[in-house]
Amino acid sequence: MKNISNEVLKKIKDNNIKPKPRWYFITKNYFIWSIFVISIILGSFAFSMVLFIIKQLDWDIYHYIGDSFLKTVFISLPYLWLIFLILFTGVAYYNFIHTKRGYRFKFISILLISLIISIILGTGLYFNGFSERLENVFSGKIPYYNRLVYSCEKQWMQPKRGLLAGTIIETELPENNFILMDLDNNRWKIKASKAIWKGKIAPATGLKIKLIGKLIENNNFKAMEIRPWKQGQGRFMMGGNR
Amino acid sequence: MKRYETKLINYILKISNISREDGEDILQEVFVKAYQNLNDFDLNFKFSNWIYSIAHNTTISAFRKKKVRPQTVSWEDKDLNNILKSTLDLEDASLQKLTYKHILKIINQLPLKYKDVLILKFVEGKDYREISDILRKPMGTIATLINRAKKSLKQGLEKEDIKL
Repeated sequence: MKNISNEVLKKIKDNNIKPKPRWYFITKNYFIWSIFVISIILGSFAFSMVLFIIKQLDWDIYHYIGDSFLKTVFISLPYLWLIFLILFTGVAYYNFIHTKRGYRFKFISILLISLIISIILGTGLYFNGFSERLENVFSGKIPYYNRLVYSCEKQWMQPKRGLLAGTIIETELPENNFILMDLDNNRWKIKASKAIWKGKIAPATGLKIKLIGKLIENNNFKAMEIRPWKQGQGRFMMGGNR
Repeated sequence: MKRYETKLINYILKISNISREDGEDILQEVFVKAYQNLNDFDLNFKFSNWIYSIAHNTTISAFRKKKVRPQTVSWEDKDLNNILKSTLDLEDASLQKLTYKHILKIINQLPLKYKDVLILKFVEGKDYREISDILRKPMGTIATLINRAKKSLKQGLEKEDIKL
């Protein structure tokens, strides 16, 4: 057997090897903890967006368009933000197990604790109105964001499936009919003689509404039920169409 | 260094099944790494666990980089005995020289993660907390790995029809 001790000492001396300074390990440790905390915070942003989008959608209309509730859930889930939530939780987990004692905890415990913290913080952010501001920033400044997220505007702009939304622009028509400008700035003639008006509203110019009914032919729609567009629901209420 | 030299070289050779020469190169690397990372050592941990952890990681890393070639490393009878006694619940496993090579072959065929925990538990005599600190895995995982390793070894012995 070689004299290992001597060889190691020789190697240390010849290559001028020195112990890494204490501050290097302290910085590394702080860095890992920082990434963990940042991931939890970003995860909470993602969860607040999940909550915001889910709360924006109307969950009672699935039976009007003949879909099952499960199918509606499947179509409507905010996958983009759920992916971000999973991703940030994963990054938080990865960093936690690389802290000094992180490996002592079970995979499921770390994952659940990270997720629960993100959910609690995210719920707080949602009620604080943060998610609404974040949604405005993303919708306005991130290209293709609106295509990736199933919004309430998308949910209500399906005339072929009997859902339509927009602003009333003319009411002086016979049999309670009116003209609607939809969210894509198309004009629609709405037959509303048999429509049920919900939410204590009456036809008036400038009123933003959601309609459940049937597409008759090009830009003619027969309304069965009319609802007000809820205050603060989606981008539509924040100025103009879409 | 002297205090850990023999213990660590035996551990490295057993888990990796490499030649003594390659093992000594790894051991040198282990001591150099320990020296370089001395300021990372936490006094709340046992020094022996810390250096075993470095030895484990360095050996795995050398294996991955294919810096070392597997060979058949001989074990001491008492080490094999310890593993077999715990696996087969025998009062005293008297090894027959005829089956010695077979048993060693079966142990060496076990996945590294199983072989590693068996060696740390029954040859190095570490407890669950210590193995957890060396392999940087939760204690529950260590317990599961030990059970699976024992089961796997038992199956291997039965398959080869080795009777003790």
